[in-house]
Amino acid sequence: MRSGEHAGDGAPAPPPVSATRPVLVALAVLVVVTLAATAIGPADLSLATVARVVAGHVGLHLPGRVSAIDQAIVWQIRLPRVVLGGLVGAMLALGGASYQGVFRNPLADPYLLGVAAGAGLGATIAIVSASRATYLLPLAAFAGGVVAVSLTYLVGARANGYATSASIILAGVAVAAVFTALQTNIQQQHAADLQPVYSWILGSLSVATWSDVRLIVPYVALSTVVLLGHRRLLDVLRVGEEEATSLGVDPRRVRLTVVAAATLGTAAAVSVSGLVGFVGIIVPHVVRLTTNASYRVVLPVSLISGASFLILADLGARMLDAPAEIPLGVVTAFIGGPFFIFVLRSRRSRQGTL
Amino acid sequence: MRALRVALASAVATVGLALATSAGGAGARPAWPVTVRAANGAITIAHQPTRIMSLSPTATEMLYAIGAGSQVTAVDKYSNYPAGTPRTSLDGYSLNAEAVARYRPDLIILAYDPPALAAQLATLHIPVIYDPAAPTLAVAYHQYLGLGEATGHLAGARAEVARLRVRVAAIVRTAPHVPAGTTYYYELDPTYYTVTSATFVGQLLSMLGLHSIADAGGTHVSGGYPQLTAESILQANPSIILLADHGCCQATPASVAARPGWSALSAVAAGRIYVVSDSLASRWGPRVTLLLQAVASDLRRAFG
Amino acid sequence: MSALELRGLAVSYDGVAALCGIDYALAPGTWLGLIGANGAGKSTLLRALVRLVAYQGTVRVGGAEVARLSRRRLAQQVAFVPQTPELPREMRAIDYVALGRTPYLGYFAAERPADRRVGHELLARLGLDALAERPVGALSGGEVQRLVLARALAQEAPVLLLDEPTSALDLGRRVEALELVDQLRAERGLTVVAAMHDLTLAGQFATEVALLDHGRLVRTGTPDAVLTDAELGRYFGASVRVLRDDDGDLVVVPRRQRGGPS
Repeated sequence: MRSGEHAGDGAPAPPPVSATRPVLVALAVLVVVTLAATAIGPADLSLATVARVVAGHVGLHLPGRVSAIDQAIVWQIRLPRVVLGGLVGAMLALGGASYQGVFRNPLADPYLLGVAAGAGLGATIAIVSASRATYLLPLAAFAGGVVAVSLTYLVGARANGYATSASIILAGVAVAAVFTALQTNIQQQHAADLQPVYSWILGSLSVATWSDVRLIVPYVALSTVVLLGHRRLLDVLRVGEEEATSLGVDPRRVRLTVVAAATLGTAAAVSVSGLVGFVGIIVPHVVRLTTNASYRVVLPVSLISGASFLILADLGARMLDAPAEIPLGVVTAFIGGPFFIFVLRSRRSRQGTL
Repeated sequence: MRALRVALASAVATVGLALATSAGGAGARPAWPVTVRAANGAITIAHQPTRIMSLSPTATEMLYAIGAGSQVTAVDKYSNYPAGTPRTSLDGYSLNAEAVARYRPDLIILAYDPPALAAQLATLHIPVIYDPAAPTLAVAYHQYLGLGEATGHLAGARAEVARLRVRVAAIVRTAPHVPAGTTYYYELDPTYYTVTSATFVGQLLSMLGLHSIADAGGTHVSGGYPQLTAESILQANPSIILLADHGCCQATPASVAARPGWSALSAVAAGRIYVVSDSLASRWGPRVTLLLQAVASDLRRAFG
Repeated sequence: MSALELRGLAVSYDGVAALCGIDYALAPGTWLGLIGANGAGKSTLLRALVRLVAYQGTVRVGGAEVARLSRRRLAQQVAFVPQTPELPREMRAIDYVALGRTPYLGYFAAERPADRRVGHELLARLGLDALAERPVGALSGGEVQRLVLARALAQEAPVLLLDEPTSALDLGRRVEALELVDQLRAERGLTVVAAMHDLTLAGQFATEVALLDHGRLVRTGTPDAVLTDAELGRYFGASVRVLRDDDGDLVVVPRRQRGGPS
């Protein structure tokens, strides 16, 4: 072992927390999952057909003809669904990891802060009050989510003059309860419209289109840039608010920025996908358990793995009961729950031998 | 929709009971008290009811069709046919026993049985007939006869059933012949919920020689009301598209044709997309003939 | 110029005064030992200096007024070691020490190699370089103490505040940690302000001692002047005897209160 006296003279400092390897592994998984989800679908198309369509759209021409319907199935139905699934999954996982970092609470997620309840209320109001609900729904869900989080923040901040993690989470629980109650009440009064509300709450990518993708890309991109930009600061927050303050960081400013960015992205995502649960909690946790707890690793790897996870879950939603759908939220809970328990248990037994 | 499916499942289970009803009731003049069988078992009605409450839009239509309309004193908020029904603000999907009892009914008809409601009403000694969504025309006919017996209009019920049988047969006979293997996609909502041939609507459409594209996954999948994936709809390439979600969700032939990728469908290319009235399509009462007639004339336009 | 200058410093919590009328100036390289009974205001004083509590009056660090500095600039001037640091158990030791470089990094910036070098040198200086890649949670109490100190030193601030720095350590470790701070004080001209429970250690390490009582500075001066039987007995409400050991260092010994008059 090198002695302390000479450590400064050219001894290399240990490399910083490196996300490179886990990011590369996660990217490789994402590529495989994306290819599989593009190749497989309830419409039983050959790999060659799928390849021809995709190649045709990126300017390559492979020999052979593809029918207009197969063309539409691959390019207008299947691919936008895969891409949208990836975007939504990435956003939910990144948003979840960011909420957890900023509130230093492993259970913090869009549900806990009222984003989901607010979006649910917005969607319900849109569905029961406007017959043109189908295109109003994303906007209404988005507005509801933003209103709920703003309220959570205001209530949490007012409670004791300034916002602490605990007061905000308590406020989030209260806001979510009120919004859920309102939503349930409206739903009960419009029982005939129950089905659309119900299927939105279960979450689904069944009507994904490229225009949905275009709708959320700007929000997801902005949110991702801001959140990834905070990955080092989230590590600083791990020493607590006071110590972070004494290190020159304003935890409230970090929290406000991160919550705003995560909410924007999450609300945009759930506005097109409905309330897909579990992604925001499970993906970051599995990443944390299998790689490193540093947010410099957790954020980028959650982003990529969230995309893989939801694309895979949606492949299940499309295929398990083909030609019928299974609600995506049901699949994420079914895959996610047991997988999470598995990782948790194997991790614990490994720690037990340390 | 979901409620409908739940109700349907229990209806399927009670078809046998309903069959027994008509056989037992046939021929006899109603002598009070009468006992009728419905999905909730045998119901004894002591006197001819004069304050009927129908919380089922279909049952409301049936009661008026068999001549019991004058005995109906309250109906739910969705019972919009025929004109002039005594509508209340009650919602058949979310009821409480006290709100129902306020109207002092002497017979209640439900199409949806919220948990424990029937049991609660039973403690008020008000007879309840539970006639959930009929899975077949035959079950619908048996519901007619049950209502007829319970209200003292058995003859009217028989006449109405006979009229329906004749009318349905006539529509089917005069309907255009569709090519063998003609398929349809019947849209219940814009997230691609549809029907299989095992449902009430599916059976009506089968009479006209049509097959549901959802049958490929088994006719009983999701209780006959599966949500299809968009790509399986495209691959099935249905011969015609029927939109039962115009009223709820503003689906139109133009909006369907504008969906990304759907222009490749032959039904879209040939303009074989038709709107079906949701209020007709979700009921199994006297106006099923209108639904059948409407689809038959769509077929005439499509293939005639 | 004073390294640290307090003028009329006062802090109150919900209208109750916790500190009041504190005037003090420290020359660079001073080790000020803050002593006083529990609740006398030692921690509050330290926390006011890094603006973790709002204060009235003036605090100057290197001539600059603390209230006017940005959080980042303040963290470059004053480093603070809290009494019970919150430890991210899964974080590697080297990454923990590197957190001390935060005041020198832009909002979105990543650590530079130079920052990691500073962290690594400090680990080596404190004999922790072999543990650099261990998670914080796997270190012993003494190692953690040195690690937290290393993080504060990584801030390269001229003023170091320590709140009861050795309360969690056993005797040998206590002296070791304080020796280290003292060496650095001598080498780098650090100004140290330490709230100290152990009066014997205060007597041995502090160059000046300030005795706080109910939020007021009641005695200041060299350890020899302040740490006397009479002063301590009066303000700690206990009978003590201040002795000198063979090396001439102060030793504060509590005296047992015997029942009844002797």
